[in-house]
Amino acid sequence: MFRPIKVFFLSALSLLIGMKVTIKNLFSPPVTLDYPNKKQPMKKNFRGMVDLKPPACVICYQCIKICPTAALFLSHKTVEQDAKKKNEITKFTFNAELCCFCGLCEEVCPTDAIYLNQMYEVSVFSHDDLLSIDLMDPKKYKHLDDRTVNQPEPNPQ
Amino acid sequence: MEQVEQNKSPELRSEELVVNMGPQHPSTHGVLYLELRLDGEIVVDCRPHLGYLHRSIEKIAENRTYIQFVPFTDRLDYLASMNNNLGYVLAVEKLLGLPVNERVQYIRTIIVELNRVGSHLVSIGTFAQDLGAYATPLFYCFRDREKIVELFDELCGSRLTYNYMRIGGVQNDLPPGVDKIIKDFIQYERKKLDEYNELLTYNAIFLSRTKKVGILSKETAINYGVTGPCLRATGFKWDLRKEEPYLIYDRFKFDIPVGTMGDSWDRYKVRLEEIQESLKIIEQAIGAVPEGNPVAKVNKVYKPAAGEVYLRTENPRGELGFYIVSDGTTKPYRNKIRSPSFSNLSVLPELIRGLNVSDAVCVLGSIDIVMGEIDR
Repeated sequence: MFRPIKVFFLSALSLLIGMKVTIKNLFSPPVTLDYPNKKQPMKKNFRGMVDLKPPACVICYQCIKICPTAALFLSHKTVEQDAKKKNEITKFTFNAELCCFCGLCEEVCPTDAIYLNQMYEVSVFSHDDLLSIDLMDPKKYKHLDDRTVNQPEPNPQ
Repeated sequence: MEQVEQNKSPELRSEELVVNMGPQHPSTHGVLYLELRLDGEIVVDCRPHLGYLHRSIEKIAENRTYIQFVPFTDRLDYLASMNNNLGYVLAVEKLLGLPVNERVQYIRTIIVELNRVGSHLVSIGTFAQDLGAYATPLFYCFRDREKIVELFDELCGSRLTYNYMRIGGVQNDLPPGVDKIIKDFIQYERKKLDEYNELLTYNAIFLSRTKKVGILSKETAINYGVTGPCLRATGFKWDLRKEEPYLIYDRFKFDIPVGTMGDSWDRYKVRLEEIQESLKIIEQAIGAVPEGNPVAKVNKVYKPAAGEVYLRTENPRGELGFYIVSDGTTKPYRNKIRSPSFSNLSVLPELIRGLNVSDAVCVLGSIDIVMGEIDR
């Protein structure tokens, strides 16, 4: 007969002790961010989308060899310029669907030509936009860049 | 009263009901499918079905070089990626006979113990969530874990799949000023652990849900190969960091928390106390990091001599073992992974036979499985 009463009061007491913790946290400053309106800058070596500085690339194929998921494709041709043989990139594409963002390509690159940039909002409407991104095109991430860099206007309400 | 007794008589027993719990169920921690046979509210039998998250990681290992496989170990136990990285890297180093310098060992110890704290925080939070303490303890735990994740983000550039350990070293050196950040975190976390005790550990409702629910005996645990906090909760003192010290664990003073009964509450309590012990290790290690260059180059091709190696490490969930067979080429011939969650899950039917359905959820939460390493 007395046990349910005892359990009831013990539970009520525990609830009060728990409430003490939650109320203390209620008046502490918030730890979350008002995300779409406010954005935090990414850390210095954040691993975002794969990017390339085409003049720095020496076509050593190191990044292609190290990639664990074969997300990168590179081909080149030899052209003669002023009686000198020179290698030139014909195609350098990146498959963002396969990429696991491990950053190994960035580490093996001897000239820091290939790197992982700061973009983190990388969703698109079609799979086809991710399958072969042309790394030689300077405007390849234009549509993502607008969203990442430009802060939206604060809500007037 | 008489009516109740009549219902229990064998003639009036109701038919068994099969309930499919999962694969899409909020309390199964991933895509686990439990086939429960119920007699009214009581679980008569349980069969876990696996295979919904199978990515054939062991087969993938046979087609990748030793360095290329490190990012895949992140995807085993995704809450403790650093510990998985460490287990694999130590196994390959043992196969190659490669020595690493002191600074690397200290950095690895600190990072791995921080990840252990983060992993246990998630397990405590989700356990409370499974019991019906909706969202509040979970968010408090994630708030604390965020500090660790932010540190790892600065360290290696990723928040979940770190790919930080390298064969013969690590990816990056510790960032400047990290000592102060970690020391502040230790002070902060110790205060918060007292809060968790008030909020959960000695709460009467929490105790009545978890005490004497899902009792695991020492013999059953050893027979099933249960390891980690689940084994230590039964009162069996077994921790690889003490029994077979790898890295530099023999230099630090820390205790192995053990339970008394092996019920759900003991498993929870052991995890909470392990956070304290990990903080102790970090505190001792952070002041003693020697100088040196910890960064290892990745574009080196490793060709270990033909042979085999097995190395096990203490993950937050138990013993993680890597069995690597080399045939003298750049790729391993076989890479077998012994994952702790798989053995811990296999003991589940023994624990929940005869319990209510709501208690089955409690036991599953207290075992703390991660489906990524069960299916591999």
